[in-house]
Amino acid sequence: MNPETTKFLQRKVAELGVLPAMPSVLQSLGELLSAAPSETDIDRIVELISYDKSLAAQCIRTANSAAFGRRIDVSTVREAVLALGIFRIRDLVYSCSLPKLFSGTQYGIAPTTFWCHALGTALVSQHLGERLAVENSEKLYLAGLLHDIGLVANALLFKEEFQRVLEKAQTSESPLCEVEAEVLGFTHCDSGRMLADIWRLPPDISAVIEHHHHPSPDDPDAEMECVVYLADLLCRLRSLGYGYYEARGFDLASEAPWRVLERKHPSAAKLDLARFTFELDEYATKVRQLVDSIFADGGAKQ
Amino acid sequence: MATDSVTLPNSASEEALLSDPALVKIRDLIYRISGIFHPDTKFYLLAGRCQRRMEALRTGSFADYFEHLTTRPNRDAEMRSLLNEITIGETYFFRSQASLDALSKIVLPKIVALPSKQGFKKLRVWSAGCSTGEEPYTLSILLLEQLSQKFNDWSFEIVATDLNDNSILKCREGLYGEYAVRNLSPQMRERYFAKERNLYRLKDEVRANVKFDRLNLQDQSKMLFMKGFDLILCCNVLIYFDGVAKKRTIDHFFNGLIPGGYLFLGECETLFGIYDQFRLVHFPGSTGYYKPLPGEVLGGSK
Repeated sequence: MNPETTKFLQRKVAELGVLPAMPSVLQSLGELLSAAPSETDIDRIVELISYDKSLAAQCIRTANSAAFGRRIDVSTVREAVLALGIFRIRDLVYSCSLPKLFSGTQYGIAPTTFWCHALGTALVSQHLGERLAVENSEKLYLAGLLHDIGLVANALLFKEEFQRVLEKAQTSESPLCEVEAEVLGFTHCDSGRMLADIWRLPPDISAVIEHHHHPSPDDPDAEMECVVYLADLLCRLRSLGYGYYEARGFDLASEAPWRVLERKHPSAAKLDLARFTFELDEYATKVRQLVDSIFADGGAKQ
Repeated sequence: MATDSVTLPNSASEEALLSDPALVKIRDLIYRISGIFHPDTKFYLLAGRCQRRMEALRTGSFADYFEHLTTRPNRDAEMRSLLNEITIGETYFFRSQASLDALSKIVLPKIVALPSKQGFKKLRVWSAGCSTGEEPYTLSILLLEQLSQKFNDWSFEIVATDLNDNSILKCREGLYGEYAVRNLSPQMRERYFAKERNLYRLKDEVRANVKFDRLNLQDQSKMLFMKGFDLILCCNVLIYFDGVAKKRTIDHFFNGLIPGGYLFLGECETLFGIYDQFRLVHFPGSTGYYKPLPGEVLGGSK
């Protein structure tokens, strides 16, 4: 990010003080859940999840749907944590808690639309990572979920200007980040990076937030950025975008991020991208159901 | 040329059909002549179509019917009738909105801007497997509207072909029921159709630019004449062809398109593993195939 932009954004945050802090529960859970497997403190995790009734209910519900076909029903948070495993619990905790973080704020974008895109990108990133056998693919869900968090920051810090960005993107049918650059002079990648620093997110996740529109193909660590870039694009193309038409066609196989992945993972050449895309339509239904249930639990409504 | 929906048979009768050697012979014969292959899972479909013809001929067994198709003096006419039964379909106007949006908002402006198109401003479109005409007439309406709004010094021509004689007759008649126009607003119906009792007759304005012809996509010599198209649509036709016939047909499509032209297939059809000279392009909610310009560096948005 340009140092001028950084300074400008930091000043704006200091002036307005409207950016939400990472909730302490999420912070503690995040730390607990990121611990090495041998040091995982299940009791403390169960305790923290149990404080939040709707989160606890969501964990049990998900565990039961994932355990479909098993004989034993999951009825406690502990059983849910054991059934789903630490990574899925972490993803679920973030998915359910983050939308509530911004409760009561006007995004400009409908919150359900925003979180459908975030959750869709999370799921598709994870799925794509698994299909390509990307290393550390368990991190991709969180990276996908948080990639556009800068949009929320922009909506909070620059209410009127951001509204103009949305209107202009809609009428010109262009991608949001292009219009942001034009109207605001920076994009949600920049403000997202700043929010990531305030929240002290892990460096690889912050890098995805900052670079997901322009992954650096020469950087050997850019793999996660490339996966999230493609997942974000695919979601926007398959009805999990920002609710308006982007008049663009993409030759994904020729995009630099795809070529980076292809070079590293021979299985990429075997992936039928058209078919993969058609399969994604199933995610759209799944994601909408999850978002509806998160918002139905209350607390996240505008 | 979409097939009409059929009720699934029970597995017992499917097995019985598969074990009838005459029906297997009929399948192989149809494949040799038309390139349409009925895999085991589509056998009941083939049986149903044959049975309709067998009723008309008062023939009791598939073995007798095979003779009608191979040794009787009227065998060619009977094969035509059977192919007509096999390829008959039911569809409607403006069926695939996502593809039509991609055509008018993304593809059309790109084609109109091609340097090779600047001398003679006429679009040439081929609807291959046009069934009863809903697809080519939809394109005609779309192009009438788009060209008059945005590119009014351009004209267009649509060539619509199908293997089925009855479909071609129906196309030329241009008379449709309520089902076919169900996606059209009252204004669109009023604008482009004349009501005849409970039917809708297309106005000459829509019909004038569409030319219909019977064409077997496996007829190699005729296919060579299908040249110079900017856009080819071939929806749910290739599904009937086996790998070799599919590849051959796509090769004709590729050669029939101008560089910079596009091929659109049915919503869930892909060319992966069949043909690699086209570039798969993702549009919002749909996909298309792009024929690159000579020496074009691929990548980015199309």
